[in-house]
Amino acid sequence: MGMNGVFCVLLLVGVLHAAATGQAQEAQQALIAGGTQAVELCLSLAGAYAFFGGMMGLIRESGLASGLAAALRRPLSRLFRFELGEEAALTDICLNLSADMLGMGNAATPAGLKAMRTMAQCQREKGRASDAMLLFLVLNTTSVQLLPTTMIALRAQAGAANPADIVWPTLVATAVATGCGVLLCRLCSGRRGR
Amino acid sequence: MNESLLLPALLLMAILSALRARINVYDAFVRGAREGLQTAFQILPYLVAVLTAVSLLRETGLLDQMQRVCEPVFAGIGLPAESVGTILLRPLSGSAALATVNDVMQTAGADSRAARLCCVISGASETVFFTGSLYLGSAGVERSRYAIPVSLVAYAAGVFAAAAIVR
Repeated sequence: MGMNGVFCVLLLVGVLHAAATGQAQEAQQALIAGGTQAVELCLSLAGAYAFFGGMMGLIRESGLASGLAAALRRPLSRLFRFELGEEAALTDICLNLSADMLGMGNAATPAGLKAMRTMAQCQREKGRASDAMLLFLVLNTTSVQLLPTTMIALRAQAGAANPADIVWPTLVATAVATGCGVLLCRLCSGRRGR
Repeated sequence: MNESLLLPALLLMAILSALRARINVYDAFVRGAREGLQTAFQILPYLVAVLTAVSLLRETGLLDQMQRVCEPVFAGIGLPAESVGTILLRPLSGSAALATVNDVMQTAGADSRAARLCCVISGASETVFFTGSLYLGSAGVERSRYAIPVSLVAYAAGVFAAAAIVR
C-alpha cells in the first residue's frame, strides 16, 4: 500500500538525476548491484530466520503462546471498550497480540484479521470502524514485539560487537509508541470520559 | 542484565516447556525453521526492488544530497543524518526499512549511533500503511477515522524516544 508510488518515484528520480548529471555508468552499475546485495542479504538472514522460526515453533507447539494469550485476556478486556457483541473477538485479539509479542508475525495476522472481521460484523453502521477496532489496529501498527529478532539477526550479520544491545532501547521505544497510541485512541474515541 | 543471555534463556524456556508439554522438540523446531526460511525467501523479491532503488539513489549521489538537505532539520531534533531513509521508509515498507538499516550499518558501521538508532526504530515499529490497509480492508472498513494519523503520531513518538535513549 503506497509502495507502488514510492517505488516509481524513487526509480524515476534516480534515473532522471543520473541522466541529468551524466552518471549513466554509475547508474548502470548501481542497478545491477542492488539485486546482488538483496540476494546476499537474504541468504545471510535466512539462517537466523530459520533459527528464530524454529524457536518460535517450540514456543507455539508447547502451548507457551496460548498461555501468554490466556494471561493477556484479563488486562485486555479492560483496555478495550467493547461495543455490544464485540467481546466475541477477545480470544482472537489475545492470540494476535501474544503472537505479535513473540515476533510470530505470520501466526499473528490470521487471528488479527479474524478479530477485525468479528468486530466489524457488530457495527450497526457498515463500513465504519468502532473505537475498539481502531485501538486494536493501533496496537498492531505500533508493534508490541518483545524480542526484535530480525534486527538482532541483521546486526549479527553486519558484525556488531553485541548484536542484542538494541533489545532494551527497542523495548522502551516500542512501549512509548504503544502507550502514545493507546492514549491518543482514548482522546479521539467517541465515548470520551467513560 | 547482559543482553546476550536473553536468547539462550528464551531457548531454554522454550525447550523446557516443550518437554513438559511432551511434544517432539526436534520436529517442532524443524517445522518452525521451515517457516522462517519461507519468510526469508518471501521477502527476497521486495528486497531486490527496494535495494535496487536505494542503490541507484546512493551511487548517483542523490541520497547524500537528500541527507544534506534533511540534516539540519534532523540534527535540530537530535537525529543523525544517516537515519533519514529508515525513518521515512519504515511506515511504508518493512523490507525497505530493512534494506536501509543494512545500508547504514555497512556505511556507518554496525556499532555507530546511527546504525543502532535505525535498528531500534525498525525493531520498535510496524509498517503502518501496510498493516492498516490489510486489517481495515479485510474487515470492509471504509471510514477508518483516526486510525492512520494516530498510528503515525505514535510512530513519531517512538522515533523520538529511540533518539533520546540511543547515545
